[in-house]
Amino acid sequence: MRPFSFAWRSLTRQPARAVLGIAGIAVVGALLFDMLLLSRGLVVSFRDLLEGVGFDVRVTADQFVPSRGPMISDGTAVLNRLRALDEAEEVLALRFGRAWATDGERRVSMDLIGVDGNPRKTWTVIEGSRLPAYDPAAPPAILINRAVASRLGLSPGDTLPLRGDCDSRVTALPPVDFQVVGIIAFQFEARGGRSTVTTLPGYVKACDPPNREAMTLFMIASTVEAGPDSVVRAVEHVVPDLHAFTNQEFVDRLQVTDFSYFRQISFVLTTITLFFAFLLIATLLTVSVNRRLGEIAALRALGFRKKRIVADLLWESALLVGAGGLLGLPLGGLLALYLDEILRQMPGIPIGLHFFAWEPRAAITYVLLLALAGLLAAAYPVYLAARLPIAATMRREIV
Amino acid sequence: MLPHRAWGIALAAILTAGAGWSVAEPAQPNAPPILLSRQLAEARDLRVGEIVHLSTDSTGENPRPFRVAGVYEPVPDPFRLTTRRLEARFHLPDLIEFSADPHDPLAAETVTRINVALEQPDAAREFARQLEGRVPGIAVRSTDRSRTGSDPFVVLNRFHTAIAAVTVIGSAAFLLALMVMRSEERRETAGILRLIGFSRPRILLEILVEGLLVALAGSVAGVVIALAVEGLLNRFFQWHYDTALVFVRVTPGIAVKCIAISVPLGVLAGLVASWTLLRRGIMSLLHR
Repeated sequence: MRPFSFAWRSLTRQPARAVLGIAGIAVVGALLFDMLLLSRGLVVSFRDLLEGVGFDVRVTADQFVPSRGPMISDGTAVLNRLRALDEAEEVLALRFGRAWATDGERRVSMDLIGVDGNPRKTWTVIEGSRLPAYDPAAPPAILINRAVASRLGLSPGDTLPLRGDCDSRVTALPPVDFQVVGIIAFQFEARGGRSTVTTLPGYVKACDPPNREAMTLFMIASTVEAGPDSVVRAVEHVVPDLHAFTNQEFVDRLQVTDFSYFRQISFVLTTITLFFAFLLIATLLTVSVNRRLGEIAALRALGFRKKRIVADLLWESALLVGAGGLLGLPLGGLLALYLDEILRQMPGIPIGLHFFAWEPRAAITYVLLLALAGLLAAAYPVYLAARLPIAATMRREIV
Repeated sequence: MLPHRAWGIALAAILTAGAGWSVAEPAQPNAPPILLSRQLAEARDLRVGEIVHLSTDSTGENPRPFRVAGVYEPVPDPFRLTTRRLEARFHLPDLIEFSADPHDPLAAETVTRINVALEQPDAAREFARQLEGRVPGIAVRSTDRSRTGSDPFVVLNRFHTAIAAVTVIGSAAFLLALMVMRSEERRETAGILRLIGFSRPRILLEILVEGLLVALAGSVAGVVIALAVEGLLNRFFQWHYDTALVFVRVTPGIAVKCIAISVPLGVLAGLVASWTLLRRGIMSLLHR
């Protein structure tokens, strides 16, 4: 009988023990798999979100995250220079601010974004139409997201009186009537977040900022021939005071700053889970071997070599860990959905961002780590079985 | 509490005006005193008594001298965990004089935030409501955080609870497997005890007491291990993020909760595993 068949019979002889052991390994394996998904989940998901917008280079005044850093003072001049670059297919200028409307007595705050250019997939129009060009003779047009629409009961065609609240000055600006032309969904929209988009002149009308030319951020789509790195070099050449970075550089920076906590947590939990798995598998196998010392001694007395006994035990460990590990994958997937839903309740998290994202590398790492844990866990029981004195063991266990 | 806008300016000045740092200066007793965060003092190798030059311009133009009067440890802020705490603290008049916009007539009168300590802290919400009504245009918030479902700490708490629950389920399965094996080992012993007159309840009670003692010992050992790991984890994260924030804390409440979950689980696992054994007849137990 081959070692595999022998190991199979050893396991099926005690189905309760085998089933419980496999179940335990499956649950621990699921947790391990989820921690591996978490370690790079934010990075993978955020990168997908960034690339989904359609722009691959961002330009800011400093290396802070866009919307948290200083403004670009001479925004209009910079915009013209960027649009003149051969490497840039499309340039979108954005200016971030805040505004508020009233719902009866209550003040309803929201983000106000002024834009100049083709937004590509930065947002999707769900209802109504796109933002038209600014017409000084007409009320400025505005796009609102679903949260604003439902909060204020607005539809395309309605009027939205907004007061700008765009900088730290205390102002008493009168409300500006905006024409709602469409309802949109942002790629980076946070759950429950209220956002609106208008043209830059519309933004200036609402906020009356001291510097009307300033911008917060430029987004650039590179030409196919040039690529994002060429765009960054070109931008650094024409506007050396500004900071240009590709999507990958942005993700790399966030990985070190904003995302680092979850990376660290996943590393710690992966280590603890792996150690836990090793401990539990080792205990299960050791207790199992201790119970069968007499049987092992008898097999040795019948002529089974040490290598054969070791092979039987290793196969038994492989079957337990293999079956449990295999079950752990779909279980881990389901658990990841649940844990992801918990973490996405955090304020400010874009709806499209996930903490647990599938990557083949996570599954490969999971298989390797679990295999290593199974191998190391089998080391002590294998040592016990290989070193036991046959006659003394038989006398003690059988006679 | 210093105005945040001024903080930002001072911070930006410190970060960008590399040329503005000058430490080998003759004593300038009239230079206004400032405090530096520990992280900034270490990053720039600055000491108490030294003179530094700060500028609100990123090019370092028009630097002003300030005397380092002290170094402080910033209050750990979980919301600024990944931010390097390169900060300086000024007397408010010094900061206003240093950073005020000369074209803004209200600059000398403007602050970003005012912190208020009430004589009756329980009245914070009512105070906030009244003050907001009396002074239009300001936002008044109590520091008492209402823990709604989307509060980051509530979310993290839920996340860690879910992880803990899954760990308990996994270890319960293993525990049951071990108890099943253990009860199989004691089959003959149980048969002999039944043969000499021990009743099922009597044997079950012995198993229960044994399980309780083992579960208690294991739970206490687990709490001790958690306390040891707590120190390691805190040191690791505090080193990594260069902060004094405490990340892991095993409180008496948490220890009691863990023991309250693990002891009954251990006892139950032992009982369930042994019950299947004790339901058998004596001859079956003795392999007859």
